[in-house]
Amino acid sequence: MFKYQFRWDTVWGSFDFLMGGLQMTLVISAITLVLAMVGGLVIALLDMSRFRVLRWVGISIGEVVRNTPILVQLLWVYYVLPIVFGVRIEALVALIIGLALYQASFISEVYRSGIQSVPKGHREAAQVLGMTPLQSFNRIVLPQAIRMTLPPLASNFVQLIKFSSLGAVISVSEITRRGMELSATNFRPLETFTFIAVVYFFICWPLAMAIRFWERRLQAR
Amino acid sequence: MSSTSPLILADGITKRFGANQVLTRVSLEVLERDVVCVVGPSGSGKTTLLRCLALLEEPSEGRVVMEGVPISTPSPNKQVKAAARGVRSEIGMVFQHFNLWPHMSVLQNLIEAPIRVKKMPRDKAVAIAESLLKKVDLFEKRDAYPARLSGGQQQRVAIARALAMSPKVLLFDEATSALDPELRREVLAVMRQLAREGMTMLVVTHEMGFARHVGTRTVFMDRGEIVEAAPGSAFFDAPQTERAQRFLQQFADE
Repeated sequence: MFKYQFRWDTVWGSFDFLMGGLQMTLVISAITLVLAMVGGLVIALLDMSRFRVLRWVGISIGEVVRNTPILVQLLWVYYVLPIVFGVRIEALVALIIGLALYQASFISEVYRSGIQSVPKGHREAAQVLGMTPLQSFNRIVLPQAIRMTLPPLASNFVQLIKFSSLGAVISVSEITRRGMELSATNFRPLETFTFIAVVYFFICWPLAMAIRFWERRLQAR
Repeated sequence: MSSTSPLILADGITKRFGANQVLTRVSLEVLERDVVCVVGPSGSGKTTLLRCLALLEEPSEGRVVMEGVPISTPSPNKQVKAAARGVRSEIGMVFQHFNLWPHMSVLQNLIEAPIRVKKMPRDKAVAIAESLLKKVDLFEKRDAYPARLSGGQQQRVAIARALAMSPKVLLFDEATSALDPELRREVLAVMRQLAREGMTMLVVTHEMGFARHVGTRTVFMDRGEIVEAAPGSAFFDAPQTERAQRFLQQFADE
């Protein structure tokens, strides 16, 4: 292998093509994160509902989604949903739905632990002072819970950037897919996929470091 | 309200948690300007009694009556619930672990309930809060966050926060138990001052000195029952029951 002649110019020649894919990756990740945050809230509220049926629904969704592989879920959404509902789903939409559902099931746990991290005594203090349960939740529990959930939510964004590469399997034109297409024409998988790995790393690593720093600062409070 | 009806009254309260009976038909009345101290070994039900009076626990039997009006009963009806909402903020409580809200400054902790619950204008709430902070000698900490304060300072802020709602009665749940001896003193000094000013107080405590010298009445509880109650220092000078004598014996060396 070490006689290998690197031909990085094949990558530079398609730089714009790959960067367009990166843009797609980031847009997919951002949209999915927003949807997953809302979906996670719905699942968390179902989990904590007073009604047993709703709790059962919330917990079932969470358990099924967390305990099946994300790739199988994506393939399922892409190929099975159209059969069931008789509509064609675009690959991009299927990817976003699949990823959002997957992340939502984890984010619901993040919300729940954030809310449960607020000591009961803080709510009792509010109650004794005459605040209503809603005031107590909005003013005392939520601000503290949000502070606890922001770092894990940011970590979810990093995960999404990586998971969105699975879109390549259902031919969503994000950066990994474009890399596959490029290496099929330039016959240079080594340069192409090395470059793509480096791109992922230099986006995810600084984010992960920043989040770790952020978490440490929150704990010091 | 007639002048004879107690400010707050525990009327035959029994409290069970599952199969565990914590209080057995406990009756206790607190008159205006009373400083009632509740003492007894741990697990005797003191805190549970206080939490029932603070409307944090619902009695299994019996009721809580404030100025002649029932405010807490087992499975309360609409009338009782409405009465409870009406007097909710007239019963203040100071917790063992302070329970200040860590995401708010000292001043914000004090003005939150007056603004949200009493709909008080912010200026007025701030003015009241500042005068209360001066009273507990923490005015210079008004913009600090609770985590920056010592335990004793946090508890004094918690007392000021309770006072900001101008409650008719203040309940203290072992307010000094989580503190080092030297920090206890500053909190006890504030409590003593409140008693002097005529604040009605119900104090669950292990501070026998406070009960003896500041309390107008001492109530001794053991195993979920009131065993003995006596005015002022009489309980300490001449305990009537053998259980109370044995309890006080532990403090003889102090």
